Amino acid sequence: MKLACVIHRYGADIAGGSEGHCRLIAEHLAAEHEVTILTTCAKDHITWRNHYPAGETRAGSLRVLRFPVARERELHRFMDLSDLVFADRATAEDQEQWFRENGPDAPDLLEHLRRHGTEYDRVLFWSYRYAGAYFGLPLVADRAVLVPTAEEDPLIHVDALSRFFSLPKGFLFLTPEEETLVGARAPAGRASAVIGCGLDPSPAPADLSRLDALRLADPFILYLGRIDPNKGCQALIRNFLRYVEGGEGVTLVMAGPSSMPIPEHPLIRPLGYVDDAVREALLANARALVMPSPFESLSMVLLEAWNRGLPALVNARCKVLRGQVERADGGLYYGNTVEFVAALDYLLHHPDAARQLGQQGLAYVDREYRWPTVMSKIDALLAQM
Amino acid sequence: MTQVTLRVDDVMGEIERDVRARLRLHLIKRGGAADYQDEEIFDAVHALLARAVDERNLDATLLPELLDSDVEWRLRTHLELTTHRPAVGRFILFVKRKMLLPMTRWLFEYSQENFRRQDHLNRVLFACIEELALENARLRRDLQSTEPASAGKPA
Repeated sequence: MKLACVIHRYGADIAGGSEGHCRLIAEHLAAEHEVTILTTCAKDHITWRNHYPAGETRAGSLRVLRFPVARERELHRFMDLSDLVFADRATAEDQEQWFRENGPDAPDLLEHLRRHGTEYDRVLFWSYRYAGAYFGLPLVADRAVLVPTAEEDPLIHVDALSRFFSLPKGFLFLTPEEETLVGARAPAGRASAVIGCGLDPSPAPADLSRLDALRLADPFILYLGRIDPNKGCQALIRNFLRYVEGGEGVTLVMAGPSSMPIPEHPLIRPLGYVDDAVREALLANARALVMPSPFESLSMVLLEAWNRGLPALVNARCKVLRGQVERADGGLYYGNTVEFVAALDYLLHHPDAARQLGQQGLAYVDREYRWPTVMSKIDALLAQM
Repeated sequence: MTQVTLRVDDVMGEIERDVRARLRLHLIKRGGAADYQDEEIFDAVHALLARAVDERNLDATLLPELLDSDVEWRLRTHLELTTHRPAVGRFILFVKRKMLLPMTRWLFEYSQENFRRQDHLNRVLFACIEELALENARLRRDLQSTEPASAGKPA
């Protein structure tokens, strides 16, 4: 088949969840299909400033078409509009305008879909919240597959989405929770599959010498990803400090780019961005992975941790994370500080149980998230439409 | 030999029981409600409030809908710049947007975050009130269904 994958940013050096998901799926689709990536020249997800040159390039077996962003995001205007829309006080025009302001605004990409959309057998769109999907999908609705990457945030309830979710011919969901959230607003009987994302079995034992240079001593728990208040990191630090007040000697390692101040504390170790080798070594040596995010549509990091047999401690207010942990029997969850303290204490002081939870997580990944399993679900859906 | 699955639900059940017990003792020690001496009452109160906080959709509660027809009561967390002057209005708005707002934005954003927190707290409290009202309604219905048909009627 001739497939197009529409994504707001694209590149091996882009860390975003939906962007990474799109790249991995597209690369695997390219083994059987002719795949074109339709994307923008943006790299920065805040401003959408043009970074990559416009036009056609190749990325392995993929053809990549980049279109320029016409205007950068006006953050203040966007935030003011967000308040109005999320408080359910926006008109239909305000809601449309929200998607426009959210961007990235790439009129040539929409024009490409308008003129050449029918040349593709299927057009896959990632992330309903971005302008490329919201305004592009209606142009090729008869062949569109939506990967919503929806989270249970206030945006999902806006009225404008009722019409939008009725348009795609098929859906690829990341979790059963997302299927429930979005599927309830899609017409009955629409083709869909819950795919998550594929993982290869973790490579041979990680190179633990990489940790020596960082002078990281056992025991430590690990947060991996963007360090941001929206990812629950402020609450994580608060909860962790409450835990170590009791005299526990565990360290919180936070690996990832930071967009918030991290307090200086002998038991908190921010590492900034880490390369793959360090990442693997951290996952192989941590006592647990903590996932404090209140909004997630899948959490690749959680799957990567289980791939290394690492148990997880997740925010129960995120239905997806709690659902994943319950389905896998791969960790514990907390709804408040007292539960965080108790659950972390359990994982650190019951090493056999913690190890077993991690192994059960690995078994869950083996069952659900190996590439052949994921790709067979996607191929079946593309053929069924 | 196959290892028996360690169920997350079982472990969490144990942890949550322990957390509730410690919380109850902590509140009693600090002079909380005397009724909390009774573990069953504490558990029932905890369950009801936890339902409101964890399970309710805070964007879909009844009380805000009823208040909507009343006076303006919502916290306005966004900024609206308007003018009533038809002629010089555009100029005034331009000055407000391009000069005044950038200078005072830090103050606006500082207070906006606090307004957001208060707004969230308000919505949690609405959900708690609604959960209590729902429980009350359910209890009334159950009570009525168990009363004999003649109960309450004059002899």
